[in-house]
Amino acid sequence: MDNLFLIISTGIFLLGFVLAMQSLRKGRQGEVRLNLWLAIIGLIFQSLFLKIRGEMHGRCPITNGAEVLVFISWSIVILYLALGRPFRLSLLGVFSMPLIFLFQLAAIVWLALADPGPRPPDQLDPWLELHAAMSLLAYGAFGLTGIAGIMYLLQDRQLKSRAPGRLFYSLPPIRFLVDAIARLLAIGVALLTIGIVAAFFMEVRPDLLHLGASGAVWVIYIALLVVCFGRKVAPKRLALFSIVAFGFALLTLSVL
Amino acid sequence: MPIFCLGVNHKTAPVEIRERLAFAEKAIPKHLGEIREIDQVDEAVVLSTCNRVEIYGAAEDPSEALDRLVDYLVGHFEVEPGEVEFYRHEAEAAANHLFEVASGLDSMVLGETEIFGQVKKAYAKAQETGATARRMNKLFQQSFSIGKLVRSNTRIQQGSTSVGAAAVDLAEKIFGRLDGCRVMILGAGEMSRVTAQSLRSRGASSIIVSNRSYDKAEELARELEGEAIHFDDWMHRLDQVDIVISSTAAPHAVVHKQHVEKAIGDRRGHSLFLIDIAVPRDVEEEVNEIDNVYLYNIDELQRIATEGMSRRARQLDYCRELIREFLNDKGIEALAEVPPQRRSAPGENSTENSASDPAGKPLPNS
Repeated sequence: MDNLFLIISTGIFLLGFVLAMQSLRKGRQGEVRLNLWLAIIGLIFQSLFLKIRGEMHGRCPITNGAEVLVFISWSIVILYLALGRPFRLSLLGVFSMPLIFLFQLAAIVWLALADPGPRPPDQLDPWLELHAAMSLLAYGAFGLTGIAGIMYLLQDRQLKSRAPGRLFYSLPPIRFLVDAIARLLAIGVALLTIGIVAAFFMEVRPDLLHLGASGAVWVIYIALLVVCFGRKVAPKRLALFSIVAFGFALLTLSVL
Repeated sequence: MPIFCLGVNHKTAPVEIRERLAFAEKAIPKHLGEIREIDQVDEAVVLSTCNRVEIYGAAEDPSEALDRLVDYLVGHFEVEPGEVEFYRHEAEAAANHLFEVASGLDSMVLGETEIFGQVKKAYAKAQETGATARRMNKLFQQSFSIGKLVRSNTRIQQGSTSVGAAAVDLAEKIFGRLDGCRVMILGAGEMSRVTAQSLRSRGASSIIVSNRSYDKAEELARELEGEAIHFDDWMHRLDQVDIVISSTAAPHAVVHKQHVEKAIGDRRGHSLFLIDIAVPRDVEEEVNEIDNVYLYNIDELQRIATEGMSRRARQLDYCRELIREFLNDKGIEALAEVPPQRRSAPGENSTENSASDPAGKPLPNS
């Protein structure tokens, strides 16, 4: 049943993306709003998948790569719904959907090929659970930062071209996107910091590689946060850095 | 009782005719009374704007009523019989015409929003005068619903339709809200004034005017409630503004790349939008290469406005399809059979029917 929920959720995100692209192409406003409802329905099925997996393991469902990818996708949707709509960034959801679709498709294939099954802990360590959950929520925020960065670069290109196309009218103002990057960076860094602090209280100390990778991600994002709030780089570079930083964070997942 | 519409608009009559037929706002109640005195006309609403003069109404015999209304207009306004070709719509065609008018689909600037307010005002005026009853109430209430539906579900309002609007739309795509945006005007020309006023109407503040003739700068600054500065000082204030509108009469570039590079360096990540409406151009082309700086000249703004117009035109079929779908679902309420109504005398407020549904409940305000 858990796999079925994951497949349904993945299909919904794909449908949402296709419909949103179609409506943007045809210039129909109403269907972009439909996208919000699809994100909510997709989130419900994601949550059902994670609930079943959580009950199966008897802990937070992030015991393998597939679950980690779904958990990050889930946090991207949660953060989009919490931040995207109030700050008039509804298109953030549309741009998130291909990433979520790819993550969840990889998770479906992963589980189909090698589902490791239940992995109940010998003894539940709440600090470990907190560390993992907060870190992955932070990855969700960083994912959205990268997506906002892509949207910034697209809108900047439209403005610079001096012949704005159809996307120009649908994309938010670049100032809103810079604000969204700043806000998401702050949220991501706060969550990751909590995750890293929790790691110091874990019963089993993380290995050096794990520690190094987490530390590197934390340092990179702290640096980004400082240059962002200190206005030390041009917004275009900030957007570019947030995309590159998320790429790096994704690479570290293989170590973590 | 069938409904009808009689009128002229920007497509059917030149301004010389429209201005003669225009109803003075204060005189509309008097005209409504006179129109309803015409035998046959039971209800009436007069919509008189700079682009159209239309009379909507309900009558037992609309053809007869329309003939008499034409006579009334010819008799009361300075037009000769046969000089004006009025369009005449009855029943469903009249309703559809109003729905398109309220949605901005019949406007000179397709999708413009002002007409929606004008239709509401015309209806309110007729209602106050007691010139409306069930038919007109239903018709106009439905036109408001359709107007809202079209505007919120299509992109008929999207895209700029003039150079000024293009500049404002671009500024909003850069800065989001224009509240608090600071504007500098270089060259106190008419185009600068109009563009600055458009920006100001959306919240831009703190306007600085710089002109070779300081007197002219002062004059424009006074009009825009801004500050006049000497022309030698503009480059020292460039880092303090978000938008620059340039339209000097200089035969060469006035704003050079090094001016903007210096200003943008001091702006700590804030964007700068330069609108160059001068010919020959005032701003060096290379300025657009600077990160976070956006430069548009008059041709580019004009191109965006032209594209905006055709973008709206491309939405027209979809808007009409949306209206058709809505009417297939709900029907034209004003054409539905209703029990015979008492005809109220001119000036008498027909409260028993105004803005009410058949159950007597007030309809929501549109």
